[in-house]
Amino acid sequence: MSIYEGSVKKPIMTALCFVAVAILGLFSLTKLPIDLYPDIETNMIMVMTAYPGASAADIENNVTRPLENALNAVSDLKHITSESKENISLITLEFEFGEDIDVLTNDVRDKLDMVKSELPDEAENPIIFKFSSDMIPIVILSVQADESMPALYKILDDNVASPLARISGVGSVSISGAPEREIQIYVDPVKLEAYNLSIETISSIIGAENRNIPGGTFDVGSDTYSLRVQGEFTDASQMNDIVVGNFGGRTIYLRDVAVVHDSVEERAQETYNNGVQGAMIVIQKQSGANSVEISDAVKEAMPRLQKNLPSDVKLGVIVDTSDNIRNTIDTLFETVILALIFVSLVVFLFLGRWRATLIIVITIPISLVASFIYLAATGNSLNIISLSSLSIAIGMVVDDAIVVLENVTNHIERGSEPRQAAVHGTNEVGLSVVASTLTLIAVFFPLTLVTGMTGVLFQQLGWMVTIIMVISIVCALSLTPMLCSRMLKLQPKQSKMFTLLYGPIEKGLDKFDNAYARLLHWAVGHRTVVIVSCMSFFVLSLFLVRFVGTEFMPAQDNGRISVTVELPIGTRTEISKEIGMRLYEQWMEQYPEIEVCNFTAGQASTDNTFASMTDNGTHLLTYNIRLSDPEERERTLSEICDLMRKDLAGYPEIKKSQVNLGGGMAVMGGETMLDYEIYGYSFEESDSVASQLSALLREIKGVSEVRISRGDYQPEYQVDFDREKLALNGLNLTTAATYLRNRINGATASQFREEGEEYDIKVMYAPEFRTSIEDIENIVIYNAQGKGVRVKEVGTVVERFAPPTIERKDRERINTVTAILSGVPMSEVVEQAQAKIDQMAIPSGISIQLSGTYEDQQDSFGDLYALMYLIIVLVFIVMAAQFESLTYPFIIMFSLPFAFSGVFLALWMSGNTLNVMSLIGAIMLIGIVVKNGIVLIDYISLNRERGMGIREAVVKGGHSRLRPVIMTTLTTILGMVPMAIGTGQGSEMWRPMGTAVIGGLTVSTILTLILIPVLYCVFASVGIKRKRKKHHESLMAKNTSL
Amino acid sequence: MKSVLITFDQAHYARIIELLDKLSCRGFSYFEQMRGRGSKTGEPHYGSHAWPSMCSAIITVVDDSKVDTLLDRLRQMDEATPQLGLRAFVWNIEKAI
Repeated sequence: MSIYEGSVKKPIMTALCFVAVAILGLFSLTKLPIDLYPDIETNMIMVMTAYPGASAADIENNVTRPLENALNAVSDLKHITSESKENISLITLEFEFGEDIDVLTNDVRDKLDMVKSELPDEAENPIIFKFSSDMIPIVILSVQADESMPALYKILDDNVASPLARISGVGSVSISGAPEREIQIYVDPVKLEAYNLSIETISSIIGAENRNIPGGTFDVGSDTYSLRVQGEFTDASQMNDIVVGNFGGRTIYLRDVAVVHDSVEERAQETYNNGVQGAMIVIQKQSGANSVEISDAVKEAMPRLQKNLPSDVKLGVIVDTSDNIRNTIDTLFETVILALIFVSLVVFLFLGRWRATLIIVITIPISLVASFIYLAATGNSLNIISLSSLSIAIGMVVDDAIVVLENVTNHIERGSEPRQAAVHGTNEVGLSVVASTLTLIAVFFPLTLVTGMTGVLFQQLGWMVTIIMVISIVCALSLTPMLCSRMLKLQPKQSKMFTLLYGPIEKGLDKFDNAYARLLHWAVGHRTVVIVSCMSFFVLSLFLVRFVGTEFMPAQDNGRISVTVELPIGTRTEISKEIGMRLYEQWMEQYPEIEVCNFTAGQASTDNTFASMTDNGTHLLTYNIRLSDPEERERTLSEICDLMRKDLAGYPEIKKSQVNLGGGMAVMGGETMLDYEIYGYSFEESDSVASQLSALLREIKGVSEVRISRGDYQPEYQVDFDREKLALNGLNLTTAATYLRNRINGATASQFREEGEEYDIKVMYAPEFRTSIEDIENIVIYNAQGKGVRVKEVGTVVERFAPPTIERKDRERINTVTAILSGVPMSEVVEQAQAKIDQMAIPSGISIQLSGTYEDQQDSFGDLYALMYLIIVLVFIVMAAQFESLTYPFIIMFSLPFAFSGVFLALWMSGNTLNVMSLIGAIMLIGIVVKNGIVLIDYISLNRERGMGIREAVVKGGHSRLRPVIMTTLTTILGMVPMAIGTGQGSEMWRPMGTAVIGGLTVSTILTLILIPVLYCVFASVGIKRKRKKHHESLMAKNTSL
Repeated sequence: MKSVLITFDQAHYARIIELLDKLSCRGFSYFEQMRGRGSKTGEPHYGSHAWPSMCSAIITVVDDSKVDTLLDRLRQMDEATPQLGLRAFVWNIEKAI
């Protein structure tokens, strides 16, 4: 018993099976996490090797190079980049997407073990660090404070950071901008010298005084007591009374040579939220945790936490990545619902019967909901890709059901009982329904095989649509016949109301059918005209390709901007802060769209995990800006970014600035960046090429920002010790350098404990004694005998320029010039830039290479084009198998070029570009447009088998298949319309895809309806002529032999 | 006793069984899948791509008195749905066990 016969005979079982699927699907839906993209596995591993005291060049030669050479042998390596800067070497290994990162990490570890012995003895062990998108902060909170400022760190740490860290899924919570408490002991060097003391002595005495020591246990009578010495300070002021030495028979207390400050650390980042000083709390998630859930939990906790804070401390939200996720997903849900409504309307319009419409439309929710089971089972999430797959599939899932229903209706009209009609009607079309769905699966299934970055995205799309299509076909072969057998009746006389309403539509459709039949009749008679004009249309449309630009991914408007401003190196924090405030005030005035503006200035302390990953320094300002929702403002994100860039250019004191659209943290959908990599060993040569190139790039229209990656030489003071003189005084370089460090940076003497917290006690020169070169020169260094010498006696203090960080890529020195584009397609800029580069005089040994987004685009496009060929072949195979002919599929394939014409036309008219999304749209078209051809050719050849002549078969076939073709095409097009015209958050991403499908399908369908029948005529008459000729020849042969 | 061979479009099956029951014709043999075409009108029933429909056949042996009623009813059935096709042929039964 076949599936449709069984389901017609057992309606309850069939219905309940689908109800069960629907319930399971809805249940899975409630369990599905929400995210922006499918899980993207990391493909980066970082190797950090510290070599204290080595300069950038030393690090490059002694650490980075040997490591790079060894690591280069790791398999699946795409690029190896490195940064060699003072004290540290950072090597980043970028692998191909889709490889198992754990296996690769082990490989890397093995290679490091092998090379370890080649590293200098002082170099520390290399540390492997897996880089992942989890490090992107998911929520950044702002804190505004007033009088609580000095104690803010402790307040926030106790009352906000710790409770937040306990939320499940939260990885780390770091506070920046609030200085930490520190006890500073500011020493007066003059007094120190007078009493013959040194910072080291004081520091060790403080360390020795601040101790709790257990003395063991002893017995008194029948009891055992423990003995303890509680020497730790309970108050910072107690330190004033420490005896640090004797001089001339008098006791010297610490207060005689130093001042104890119970204060905050000297160098700290300062954060301003909407102009008020405060702090920033950065929340990162654990790997694999759900961003939306965490951010919900954080937001829920905020009012509770606020209650425990002093009245002047106010919490707010600067960045909440989940907002964007939630809005995007909501927009997509709307899109799906709209598509559902449109499709239902089209079905009703064409069928004119509500029962039939219901039977068809019911397959949509069932197929879609069933795909949630797949998502839940494989641990995926509701994201842009999975939801847009639903939107894409809506228009296609009804096609099979429509074909089945149409044939069943035919049977009923011929006099069958609905039950019999359902079984036999489905039986007749079952095979062709399966075959036509197979062509679609032939398109979407290969998507699951794509590798690389695009593969990560489109694997899910491929799986989703494939699964939805399979379910829709099961539905069409079981649920639809069952419902037909129950719900359809021989059309009784229509009510007057219905005739009044539907009559005109019916007449219109009939007229349309007849007009098409006439057109087809004419076309069949004028084959050459039709073919030539179609071909010339295609050729003309190819010229449009020049006007449609290409890019990688459409930029997404998530309402976030991050700005980094770099002032001349060495600018004091106070000055940076002042400029920061000026910029803040200017922006708040000019851009009412700004909802929150936060900026940070100054050097971060080393124990701030988030800050240590980002660049910071006294001369750097970092802004985090949140704009209102895209629907509520007129200017787009990139427009505002461009204006900000102009504003920044108006400040002569700003040396460099970066405006990052999307907060600089988006994995995809950020701005288009062209990286020109300048390879070459010589710093001077590559620097001059870089500056020439950046000047050239700036001239090109559409380039809104140009950055050079290599930093400037940094001015710094260095002490050159004379080793001979040091040796004469019984000193060595390390001792001397440590003395310098202890006086300027401070020596951490001990920890001050209070309420379970530890704070550093630092001994150093008072600030007024470390402001000039003389102060450094006068530092006294003591040798083992206690004899002191001044720095100027054993060395000289000189001003030098430290070489910048040395960057390398694929084992060559590199300097990258990055151009950020806005408002123009990437391909145009690349072309213009290349023309300019060709004219540049590039010294030998220097080469320029284009990478960045361009490289990604080339990679992805390469993958997608390869995929396109594969899909075309697969589709051809499916069709050839179905028709058992090579000619028919060949004819049908002629609808493909016009689909691409349509894509270009639509992209050009709507101002979209050819990017990964629109290319995917074009690929989907391959499967969709051939379906129309299949329906037409199938029916025409059926007519021929029934004994009609070629022309009659073509015209009658076209006439009777016009409605199904138009109907299925319209459902697909209207299913895409909400995607193509959407304006909500995130709609930029799928708009090109929707536009491409609509354009391609419209143009291709119109031309297919005329060209394919005409081509059929041509091929069929050639076939007949050949047969006649053969027949004639055999007759002749017979005649001659006679 | 006469034998009636009824060939018909598959869609008629349920109705014919019902008719036989009504006329208390208990015995019959049923061939589910048959191919054929009418002598004058109607679409061929080949189960092929061009002519996908199929016919079935039933041979029933009935009392002489029931034959006319049966044929009348079958004719009505055929006339109600001319597009499906239904034919019946009657001949004598010489012997039976």
